[in-house]
Amino acid sequence: MDTILNPFLLYGLLAVIAIGVGIALPRRGFSPQILGGLVAAAGGGLLVAFLTLKAGKDFPNIYFYIFSAVALGAALRVITHPRPVYAALYFILTIIATAGLFLILSAEFMAFALIIVYAGAILITYLFVIMLATQAPREEDIDVLTEYDSEAREPLAATAVGFLLMAVLTTLLFKGVATLPPAPVNRTEALLAEMPRKVERVLENHGLLKEGETASVVLGADGLIEAVRIVGANGEGRALSRGEWPAELPVKNVEGLGFNLLRDHPGTIEIAGVILLMAMLGAVVLSRKQVQLDEDAKLKQARTLAGPLSEAEAEGANG
Amino acid sequence: MTTIELLAQTGFPAPFAGVTLAHYLFVSAAMFVLGIIGFISRRNLIIMFLCTELMFQAAGIALVAFGRYHLNFTGQTFVIFVLTVAAAEAAMALALVVLLFRRKESLDAQVWKDLRG
Repeated sequence: MDTILNPFLLYGLLAVIAIGVGIALPRRGFSPQILGGLVAAAGGGLLVAFLTLKAGKDFPNIYFYIFSAVALGAALRVITHPRPVYAALYFILTIIATAGLFLILSAEFMAFALIIVYAGAILITYLFVIMLATQAPREEDIDVLTEYDSEAREPLAATAVGFLLMAVLTTLLFKGVATLPPAPVNRTEALLAEMPRKVERVLENHGLLKEGETASVVLGADGLIEAVRIVGANGEGRALSRGEWPAELPVKNVEGLGFNLLRDHPGTIEIAGVILLMAMLGAVVLSRKQVQLDEDAKLKQARTLAGPLSEAEAEGANG
Repeated sequence: MTTIELLAQTGFPAPFAGVTLAHYLFVSAAMFVLGIIGFISRRNLIIMFLCTELMFQAAGIALVAFGRYHLNFTGQTFVIFVLTVAAAEAAMALALVVLLFRRKESLDAQVWKDLRG
């Protein structure tokens, strides 16, 4: 088994990052957050630099470094910023940087879904609740932080536990994952064989398919498309090889994702729907304001709701 | 040919090296651990729940990176469900936070420590 990084180097750098994060957590009195952030950034930067040296020419492209630096820096700010509103705004920055990482990983749909759902919906809900659940400050102490925001609980123990977990995770990662074999079959490309209608539509749009002809995809042993076969009405066929078919023939991200979602995980969609419904009901029930009524008021309300007829009945029963 | 050029030309992801996967998994692990540290050490209920969202993000990065490594869409499909669970969790958690704030007029997690039993 091939180790990507020397374990002692790895643990040393993780300890440096841990010290940085520990310094950056808010505490009462002197709290050098910028210093902590710089120490953590130096440690993390060195670790990624060593990883890149090991990767050689396989290193991820330059945007990976930019986006991950922004994402992790903003994540650090989320957990260290004493003001909740700023923490939420930094979380939006993390999400946008993560969406950038998703774009590099050619997950375009998820990148935009992340921005719309997270930054657009969930974070706005968080901001609403932060505004709802905060006492309006008095004029003179508008800059005073509440006690529970300005002081972290057990920052050293939390950092130690967190980076112990990180050490275990990265040890596994740098020992095991490098020996994982890449996928034997390019499933992204193999998916096209199951979409004959799409192949025909694309070819038709480019004038490559005439009336009465059918097209199909021939897959090679490596899972890549070997050729596109076109069979005419009278049985004669011809084949388009790679480079001859239109550029829009390959499965796009949204098509592949939708195909995977609806063909392979239909039950999971139902479960997701049930989870969302339960969450909605739960939120409505939880946040409803309970009104306390005494017995007389309840009886009065019941009479009003029941209408004039039952009121007369009630009087008759009394008399 | 660089990855970006290949992507632009064919629309297909290029094969993915194991060390490159390790880069993404390192970012994911770091973000998850930051989320855990925040969840343990911060005392504001809302920031604690923001930290759980941070952990969901980290899981999402790992899922998409693995999906890219194996060249299939299952990883991305599961990020959709992670988003669903995150939305459901946010709705419930924030309803609870509002409820708890109404009881004690404070967002401090420490004021509920008598729940420890």
